[in-house]
Amino acid sequence: MAERPAYVIVVGGGKVGFYLTHRLLKAGYEVALIEKDRIRASSISAQLGSCACLVGDGDEMAFLATSGIERADVLAAVTGDDEDNLVACQLAKLNFKVPHTIARVNNPSNVQLFQKLGVDIAVSATELILNQIDSALVNSTDIERMLMEGTDRAVVRITIPMGEAIGRRPSELPAFAGERVLLMVRDGQVVEPDSPLAVGDQILIFTGRPSSDFLLGAPTELATVSP
Amino acid sequence: MTVVDGSRQAFDRLGANFKGRMVLGNGTDQHVLEEAGAAETDWFISVTNGDNRNIMSAQVARAIFKIPRVMTRIYDPIRERVYREMGLYTYCPTVVGAAIAKTFFEEGPEAADRARAAVTVSEAANG
Repeated sequence: MAERPAYVIVVGGGKVGFYLTHRLLKAGYEVALIEKDRIRASSISAQLGSCACLVGDGDEMAFLATSGIERADVLAAVTGDDEDNLVACQLAKLNFKVPHTIARVNNPSNVQLFQKLGVDIAVSATELILNQIDSALVNSTDIERMLMEGTDRAVVRITIPMGEAIGRRPSELPAFAGERVLLMVRDGQVVEPDSPLAVGDQILIFTGRPSSDFLLGAPTELATVSP
Repeated sequence: MTVVDGSRQAFDRLGANFKGRMVLGNGTDQHVLEEAGAAETDWFISVTNGDNRNIMSAQVARAIFKIPRVMTRIYDPIRERVYREMGLYTYCPTVVGAAIAKTFFEEGPEAADRARAAVTVSEAANG
């Protein structure tokens, strides 16, 4: 661990920013919260005690310079506006060389865009919830698991649904990283286990990952929910 | 020409003579820009009231749709400098306005008019 606690700047004092700051302080980080609205900022200060709550615009360079940003380890931009989060992260990255920038993304199709535009991590609550829905559906209909008792090893049978995985080989999919495909069956015929996937393929996988992990990782590529 | 705006009233202001297309939606949204034909566009300019919205949609135009000429307006001179250095073609009305004001006060109205003329598109040029 570092000798001094990591310094985190949170941009945006809405509900996400408030609870994020609260948890970061509890975990022992040094935190500065930046909030535009003076009244909101003073209410947060009163509730969070001594945390530095700065009134200002997280996209204004002169103001950012007063926040000690050049020594920040992380900047997390979590306002409700994607464009503000993007610009805050880009300024932090380009001008102040902040090593880790994280943006909250409201429109899930902006996740990849933000990463392309230099944001280190883009997090979309919409996408996370979507994945959970996919996961719940895939889980109940298309995935069957046999856990080896007393271990975290399992054999999993998956029926490949429509989704982004189609046309790609299991070895190309992050969901299957490190997993061994034992068997692939298409239309009742055994095929080469790393063939490009087609809808309805059944694959048998040997996994050492804890169950929840595997299921959470898998659906992003495996499933799109059909109406 | 296609105009993208989040509000219907904005289209009413274009008047009956406007011959271009109007697309309702958020100009930072890739799907909206795609619908507006961004994939086949030669010129793109973002001029909403929000600097960050302009910056973001210009970057979408450039990075996603590879539009050859992309321009964006940024009111904040400091932010404008940063994105200009980053390679976006930007302009800042604050800086342009300040230059004209400075000319007016220091050199008088004629000099200020010449400065204005240099940055003004004549009505006749509008197709």
